[in-house]
Amino acid sequence: MASTKEYGSETDDETASTFSLTEEDHTLGNALRYILNKDPRVAFVGYSIPHPSEERVNLRLQTTGPLARDVLKDALQDMMALNDHVRVKFEKAVEDYKAVEGMREMSVGVSGSGRLFLVIIV
Amino acid sequence: MLFVMDATISGPHFAIPLHLAPFKQLLCFSGEQNFIRFPTVRIRELKDDYIKFELRDTDTSIANALRRIMIAEVPTLAIDLVEMESNSSVLNDEFIAHRLGLIPLKSERAMEMRLSRDCDACDGDGSCEYCSIEFNLNVKCNSDQTLDVTSHDLVSSDPSVVPVDNSFAQDISGFDAPEARGVLIVKLRRGQELKLRAIARKGIGKDHAKWSPAATVAFQFEPEIHINEALMETLTLEEKKEWVDSCPTKVFEVDPQTQQVVVVDAEAYTYDEEILKKADAMGKPGLVEIISREDSFIFTVESTGAIQASQMFINAIDILKTKLDAVRLSFDTEEADDQFGELGHHMRGGGIDLVSRVIQ
Ligand SMILES: [Zn+2]
Repeated sequence: MASTKEYGSETDDETASTFSLTEEDHTLGNALRYILNKDPRVAFVGYSIPHPSEERVNLRLQTTGPLARDVLKDALQDMMALNDHVRVKFEKAVEDYKAVEGMREMSVGVSGSGRLFLVIIV
Repeated sequence: MLFVMDATISGPHFAIPLHLAPFKQLLCFSGEQNFIRFPTVRIRELKDDYIKFELRDTDTSIANALRRIMIAEVPTLAIDLVEMESNSSVLNDEFIAHRLGLIPLKSERAMEMRLSRDCDACDGDGSCEYCSIEFNLNVKCNSDQTLDVTSHDLVSSDPSVVPVDNSFAQDISGFDAPEARGVLIVKLRRGQELKLRAIARKGIGKDHAKWSPAATVAFQFEPEIHINEALMETLTLEEKKEWVDSCPTKVFEVDPQTQQVVVVDAEAYTYDEEILKKADAMGKPGLVEIISREDSFIFTVESTGAIQASQMFINAIDILKTKLDAVRLSFDTEEADDQFGELGHHMRGGGIDLVSRVIQ
């Protein structure tokens, strides 16, 4: 289970923080960086993996005013919404594909028997 | 607030907004504007162990997160513990144990199973329905002919967890298809025997590649190829053919009728830039312009057979969600710690290792 630790900046200003996520890597670090970069309230965001043999991602976040942790929480929510969306879309696409394939197989079957029918008449 | 999910979800699907409702609510979190793009998906090809699909309108980081999770973090089952009772084969015990581990097992159950190290219902000896599946193998060669011991000889305690069966290969290529005979473990001569008990456990590819459900997961950017027709017309037919042939993959073709260069398969382009170098060398820079669309991805997912390829992608999404949840929850518990101090931390019994906030 991942844990998160927040480090404030030297000025004790909570609009700028470094979040240290354990048991995570580029998978989450880079995706969160992207989502946060899209947020207009974000002034700066970047991540680093300080050492390759330590499972840790440091995410630096500076905002234009709101608390850094609130902005990060919103990013987590946004990414979850994105996830749900992709899941729904993917499942629907698979369903649609299967339906179309099923139709095609059926129509091949019909034309096949149609041909057979014709042969019998002749 | 902008709320255009998808125009196609209307009409007969009018009753669906149920699963759209959470987005409306969730989107409000990040300011007034909706700045996150919502991707679209189209399936190109779908088989049990192979899927090719397009994921459009998103970023490399999202596509890459899903790719990395499919390879390294979607759980499957694999043999992890082997007790040898008798082994007089030419391969030593460790060698056979390793080979057993690499046999893909049908892992539909893996998502709801427990990791052996997190299981509190057992001591990891294998007799536990939540985290282990037992296999037995008992083969002895009694003839002069070499006996193949294969994955078919593994007897599972759970009919839903069995070695991946590729015997459908028989229908296509006849009884000689090597896949139809199962995965070869070892060969025995007369008098040799192999008897063992094996425990399969849940795991992820990050811990050992044997747990990865992925044979290949890759995505490519969709190339957009624009030929400068005016400049192309300054080439002779010979030059056109020479230029087309300089591409290592078959992307272009000279139309035999019109003698024009046409794009036959844009996606065959591997971004090797050979064709651009050739154009430069022929003194025709700008003959073709190739742009990679970095917001559209063509995914190819090949499964080992442990999990259906389409299910691998769905599982990857679910795991990404669990990760986000874990980060969010660790925030909440951290806040509770701030509120209740050390007491709250002790009350949770240190389930999640959290450190309260430090201001440097
Ligand atoms: Zn157990």
